[in-house]
Amino acid sequence: MLQVRNASVFFSARDGRVVHALDRASLDIDANSIVVALGASGCGKSTLLNAIAGFLPLSEGSITLDGQPVASPGADRGVVFQKDTLLPWSSVADNVALGLRFAGIPARERRERAEELLGLVGLEGFADAFPHELSGGMRQRVGIARALATDPKILLMDEPFGALDSLTREQMQELLIDVWARTGKRIFFITHSIEEALFLGTNVVVMSPRPGRIVARFDLDFVRRFAAERDVRAILSAPEFADLYDEIRSLVHRPHAEADVRRMVLQ
Amino acid sequence: MTDLARSGSRASDPADRPKIVRLHPFGLDGARTGPISLATALLLLAAWFLVTHYRLVPPLFLPTPQEVATQFLAVLEDGYAGATLWEHVSASLFRIFSAAVIAASLGIPLGLAMGLNRWAKGVFDTPIEFYWPLPPLAYLPLMIIWLGIGEVSKIVLLTLAMFAPVCLSAQAGVRSLPIERVNAALSLGASRWQLFRTIVLPSALPEILTGLRIGIGVGWSTLVAAELIAATRGIGFMIMSASHFLATDVVFVGIGIIAVFAFAFSYGMRLLEAWLVPWKGKS
Repeated sequence: MLQVRNASVFFSARDGRVVHALDRASLDIDANSIVVALGASGCGKSTLLNAIAGFLPLSEGSITLDGQPVASPGADRGVVFQKDTLLPWSSVADNVALGLRFAGIPARERRERAEELLGLVGLEGFADAFPHELSGGMRQRVGIARALATDPKILLMDEPFGALDSLTREQMQELLIDVWARTGKRIFFITHSIEEALFLGTNVVVMSPRPGRIVARFDLDFVRRFAAERDVRAILSAPEFADLYDEIRSLVHRPHAEADVRRMVLQ
Repeated sequence: MTDLARSGSRASDPADRPKIVRLHPFGLDGARTGPISLATALLLLAAWFLVTHYRLVPPLFLPTPQEVATQFLAVLEDGYAGATLWEHVSASLFRIFSAAVIAASLGIPLGLAMGLNRWAKGVFDTPIEFYWPLPPLAYLPLMIIWLGIGEVSKIVLLTLAMFAPVCLSAQAGVRSLPIERVNAALSLGASRWQLFRTIVLPSALPEILTGLRIGIGVGWSTLVAAELIAATRGIGFMIMSASHFLATDVVFVGIGIIAVFAFAFSYGMRLLEAWLVPWKGKS
């Protein structure tokens, strides 16, 4: 279990002001669940992910993974970034096996494991290609395979499909569900798309900016239904999907509108 | 319907190819410049020939191409100032390449360290920023006073000239490293050394190679200054000595030889870049 307890983050802005990026966020990520953090930009969702990954220390609060406090980045938490961070000088197989290389695993074993993972993400036969020869969606598949290679306890995904076109994005969402159903990994996923959050999350936390905090939580079962029945249309057209969409939409948009109106009145 | 059928048959007819179009490019966009450069070179040669042929400039200032060619053969056969042409060339090449090896083996590690470590940057920034804009001719007298008139002062002068661009480019290479790439490696369990070896060094390599290319170029342009120091061998020495006797044709031979070597080296570095960093500009 990954536990985030009362996590707060204060940044210092360039002009010396203190920015309250994350305000007492608490979160549990259980085995076999996909927790999606949803919110507009500036709501602290990337800050939360960076803290879980160990890139950013907390100002207050704690994060523990299976009881161990999280202090620095490590191979027990695999990260998939929005911008792919593949090494341009390494082949796809070497990129996937990078974490195994850091762990000192011999080359032949690395290669076998890389090919296995490339099969999992639907990239058989691309082991010897180079990243610049791949499309955006394929690169993100490599990124997912790379994050899975070290067999992490949790996968952290920072708007991984945000830069993809909508068709590729749908394919990638289904691929992620396949990977999740087959590996049983815990996933913490960040997005600003309500539909993506509803489709992927077993739990959705809605976040709101200034200061970044969690304003609502939902337990969902659309992703389990998709994993069992594989019928996208039935899920997207379900009335409860549409209701939740509207509910979350008003949650995401309301605080913004209020803040803007207030500022306009003050001016 | 008939239109569709016609356009279908046109596409399948190889003799009637469709008009190929593409977006208007901006800048060079990979256009070939080789033939233009070659034509320019031939034009310059022709201009040189005509100017000297019609005596528009006195031969003392600008010898004819034939004179330079004859002089080149003469130097090749008999040598110049008591040494063969090969001895002059090899003396200069030895100085340049030993200086390049020293400058690279000091400049690359120090530049990387300065890009990564506060103390390295803090300590070495001031002396390097202070000395590197100085013209080598300005500190040449100091080299002679401190190190004498032997090979050492020449090589140290060239090393100093080459060191700064190599060191600064290695620093720039570290600075250009995207933080996401570092974070990705750390989240895959990289140790400090693994991070340096597999991420920092390859990321900085394109900039380092550019720095080496610039460094060697600076080396060639400092060569004549270095060989002002009581040299009896070297292309730079040959040019300076010939200028004392107003032997303009020998000066031209020397300049030509330096140009050929510098060009060959620059081309070799480009091949090395294509081999070592084929991903450059593609990531």
